[in-house]
Formats: sequence, C-alpha cells, structure tokens
Amino acid sequence: MSQTPTSMVKLSAIDKTWADGTRALNSVDLEVPEGQFCVILGPSGAGKSTLLRSVNGLMRPTGGNVRVDGLELSSASERELRRRVAMIHQHFNLATRASVAANVLSGALPEVSMARALCGWFHPEQRKKACHYLERVGLKPEHLHRRAGELSGGQQQRVGIARAFMLDPKVVLADEPVASLDPQISRDILTLLKDAARELNATVICSLHQVDLAREFGDRIVGMRSGEIVFDGAPEEFDDQRLSRLYQNADWGDGQPGQVPEDSLELDSAGGM
Amino acid sequence: MNTRPIPVPPQGSRLHWHLDQPFRLKHLVIAVLILALLLITGHRTEMDRMVTMTTQAVGNLVGLNDESQVVRGLSKVADSMWPPQMATSEQVARINDFNANDIPLFARVENRETTTQRLNEDTLQLESTTETTEVLYDPLGYVKTVFGKMIETLEIALWGTLLAVSLSIPLAWFAASNYSPNRVTYTLARGFISLLRSVPELIVALFLVLAYGFGPIAGVLALGMHAAGFLGKFYAEDIENADKQPQEALEAIGAGKIKTVLYAVMPQVLPQYVAYTAYILDRNLRMATVVGLVGAGGIGQELKGRFDMYDYGHVMTILIAIFLFVFLLDQLSARIRSRMI
Repeated sequence: MSQTPTSMVKLSAIDKTWADGTRALNSVDLEVPEGQFCVILGPSGAGKSTLLRSVNGLMRPTGGNVRVDGLELSSASERELRRRVAMIHQHFNLATRASVAANVLSGALPEVSMARALCGWFHPEQRKKACHYLERVGLKPEHLHRRAGELSGGQQQRVGIARAFMLDPKVVLADEPVASLDPQISRDILTLLKDAARELNATVICSLHQVDLAREFGDRIVGMRSGEIVFDGAPEEFDDQRLSRLYQNADWGDGQPGQVPEDSLELDSAGGM
Repeated sequence: MNTRPIPVPPQGSRLHWHLDQPFRLKHLVIAVLILALLLITGHRTEMDRMVTMTTQAVGNLVGLNDESQVVRGLSKVADSMWPPQMATSEQVARINDFNANDIPLFARVENRETTTQRLNEDTLQLESTTETTEVLYDPLGYVKTVFGKMIETLEIALWGTLLAVSLSIPLAWFAASNYSPNRVTYTLARGFISLLRSVPELIVALFLVLAYGFGPIAGVLALGMHAAGFLGKFYAEDIENADKQPQEALEAIGAGKIKTVLYAVMPQVLPQYVAYTAYILDRNLRMATVVGLVGAGGIGQELKGRFDMYDYGHVMTILIAIFLFVFLLDQLSARIRSRMI
C-alpha cells in the first residue's frame, strides 16, 4: 500500500469568496498522497482553516472541486465522505459537560443506529476501541467518567484525538490542534497524532502557526498567504529566507495594515513560542 | 469588531460646553398625562370605593365606626367556616354492600334518632314521630376525602408536566432555528408554541370539560398544553444558544442532526432543562388546584361544589389542605434543589 502512494486528497481550483466579497481562497490546487503528514503554514487570515474546512465540506467553496479517496464531494456524497475524514479542532470542541467516555464514543456516532444513540448503548467493540484510543493518547481509566471540561487543555486535545480516530479515518484534518497549548505539550500532542496516523496509514493535513513544529513534524510544508499557496516543498527547503517572505507584509487579521517583521529570526522564535 | 476611533476636533477650534436641565416641558406633559390615566383607570376599577370601604373597615375594627360592609361580610364567612368540617356520616342503608365488620379506622356505626313533627290529618294535631336510622359516622371521613382529592390533584399536575415535556421536545426541535428543517416548519412551530402559551389553563380547561366531560382528563390536557407552550419556547432557545463548537465537531464527521443534538447539545442544556421542568411542575401543582373550579378534576372541583352548596365548613378543610400541600411541596422542592446544586 504505502510503496505506491496514491492521491488521497485532491483539491482542484478551489475558490472561496465570502458574502462580503472577501476572497479567502484563490484557485487553490493541492494534492496530498496517502499517509503523508502535510503541514499548512501561514499567517492569520491566510486561508488555512478555510482550506481545511473545504476538504470535508464544512465550508462550501464557490468554485472548484474536492476529491477524497476517489470520492467527489457533493451534497449527496457529503455524509459518506465525512465518515472517512476526521477532524481535530483548535478549541478541542468537546461537549464539556459530558464525560470523556461519551465524547470519545460520540466519534463513532455515524456508525451507530439511532436507537442505540438514543440510549447511549454503543457496541462492545466501540467501547473497547474508545478505551484503546484513550490509553493510546495517554489517559488513565479514571479519566473515563470525568467531565471533559474538567481536564486540562492538553488532556482535552488528547480526548479530541481519540475521538477523531474512532472511525478509522483515511484523512485527519487538524485545524491548529496545538494553538492553545504550551510548547512541550504541543510537541507531545503532535507526536501522538503523527504516530497514530502512521499506524492507520492515515493522511494528515495539519495547519500550524509554529514554524519550528512545522519543520519538525511535517513530511511536507505548504505555505499559504492571502488565499494562495506560495510555498510547497519538503521541510528542509523551507529556509529562513522563505519564512520571512511568507510572513512579510502579512495581514495580521486585526485590521491593521501589514507590518514588516524586523527580523526573520525573531519571528521564528515567536512562532515557536 | 466595528470600533471606530472617537472623532477628535481639530486643534484650536472653539468648544461649546453645554449641560441641559434634566426635565423639560415635555416631561411635565407626560407626567400630567400619566396622572390623568391613573385617575381614569382608578375610578373605572373602583379604586376610590376600595379606599373608602377599607378605611371604614379599619375604623370599625378600632371602634371609631359602627358600620362596615367589609367587616360584616368577612365575619359572616368566618363564622360559618369555623370549625372546619372533618367528619362524615352516611346512612348505612344507602351504602352498597355494607359490612359492619369492615368499616374504616376510627369509624363507628351509630343509631340516630330523628324526630319529625307531622300534622295528623284525623285529629288535626301535631304529632312527633321518632325514627331511628343507622348511620356510619367517620370522624375523619372528610379529611380522607380531601386527602384523596389532593392526591388526585398531584397526579393531574404530574401527568400535565409529563404531557408538556413530551409535547415540547418535538416542538422545540422544529422551533430551534438552527435545526428546524426549513423556514415554514420554524414559523409553524413558533406560532403553535405562542398559541399554546397565550391561552390560560383555566380557559383551555373550560373548553376541554365540554369535550371530555368533568374529571381529570380535561385538567391534565389543559395543564399539559399550556406548559408545553412555555417549555417548547425555553427548550428551543437553549438549543439555539448552545455552544456551536461541539456541534461542529460532530457535524464534521457526518453524525446527522439528531445525533448531534443528542451528543453535543443535550449535555450542555440538560441542567437548564431540569430547572425549567421543575419550575413547570411547581407551577402545575398550584394550577391543578384551580382548574378543578371549572370541573377539570382534583381538589378544585370539590371546592367549587362545596362553595356552591354553602358548605363553608368543608371549604375551610379544603383551604387548609391546599395550604398545607403547597407549603410542604415548597419545602420539598427547596430541599431537592439545594441538593442538586
């Protein structure tokens, strides 16, 4: 399987114009082969999230088409496609008042009948799988019945990862998964994500804003600016010069006109936090 | 987001400092209009007469005034209401399948002699005849009856609440703008909820008694429909205001709307739902005592019957029972609430 990497995610000429006329994506083409850990890097407002959300149809592009695992995204195929595409969110997006177990099990909901979902009567294999993944992400059995909101940020993201893997996804979209975590925990979480994805040979598209993490974990780095891909290559090719060009005069998303970072090195360390 | 800088006047321009009086002629006119409105409506609702009569009553009570309609009326009712009626006595001959060995606790069979004076048509003289009837006397008989009616009232409230919850859950789904299938179902559901809420229980019960006859059915339906109007609105608004993030997470894996609500919305809103439902149960317990007045079962129906028959002793027993029940339920719900929070 892995010796002949086939294209898992294929975005062709994706356009997105918001209702107010802002162009978020401008004819973006991206092809990600099976099993790759692809990092999308870029300043705020570059369109990273919009690009990720176009893959599973959370965002409807105004033009272009999306293909995942040979299936073209349309309103008819959307549900089928979404089962194969897991998502990990910046703010974890857990039901904070529900238990950790309920949150992980909810990742299997598309495969559960309505009657079972109503009474929370998940299949024994699904329960076993939930426990397996919770162990895999480094949580303890006593966490199972704790409320998700009581856990720390890092632990919540671990629950988020366990939830994402419940359906054996072909593709994992990680939208700034470590943006609200401290550097050490960020590294742990990304290691976990990368290893778990490798076990399943799942493709990962991960948006990041920490440059050092992108270089460390990415098999490939895609640089985005103002809705366009401006860099696409191996982490080794992504040198400091390209980095400063990527972030130069960027729109920082706070309405301020672009500011030039004085020093690319400083930006590098700022990105690593 | 849409913050604009406060405009700064150019340097050197003259600034006009000016601070108005808080009230102007406009405010005086409004005050006069409000006063006039109060005087007119006060006269129409006989507030002036109320003040006069109350003053008379107070004067009568402190001995300044000999005559007060209010005091006379109240003391007449109070005289006839005391003591509260507790016992019942029933002619044994009228009880079906009477078994002298199986009578209620504390009850006893008594012989009552009733003397009636009758005119003898032959002698044209009044003769008194004495008849002896066997009577089952139960010193707590009426208390038992009232207790039974109170239990029926509680059951009406409970079933009214159950009906309201099961009616309002589907209604809330259609009335939540982010889950309703389309604009039409949303408007219909919202309209229906408003309709249910706008008609008071007592009026609904009045019509339902015509449809279902006297008894608890009308009471349960009336309470359930009115409360469904409240719960549907509250449930729907909580669904709309729930945190979007967990919902997005389940949407992203294609879990479908119903499962998303179950696993991403319900955990968030459940504590609020419990609070709303507890409030509705509390309210229904109070209203269940009232809907009986139009014949919809429970203690109210007994109260109305006794009131119309001038059995004020019985009425007193019922009023005491209602007070005790509401007081006890308040205590109970306060205790449960403090334990839950």
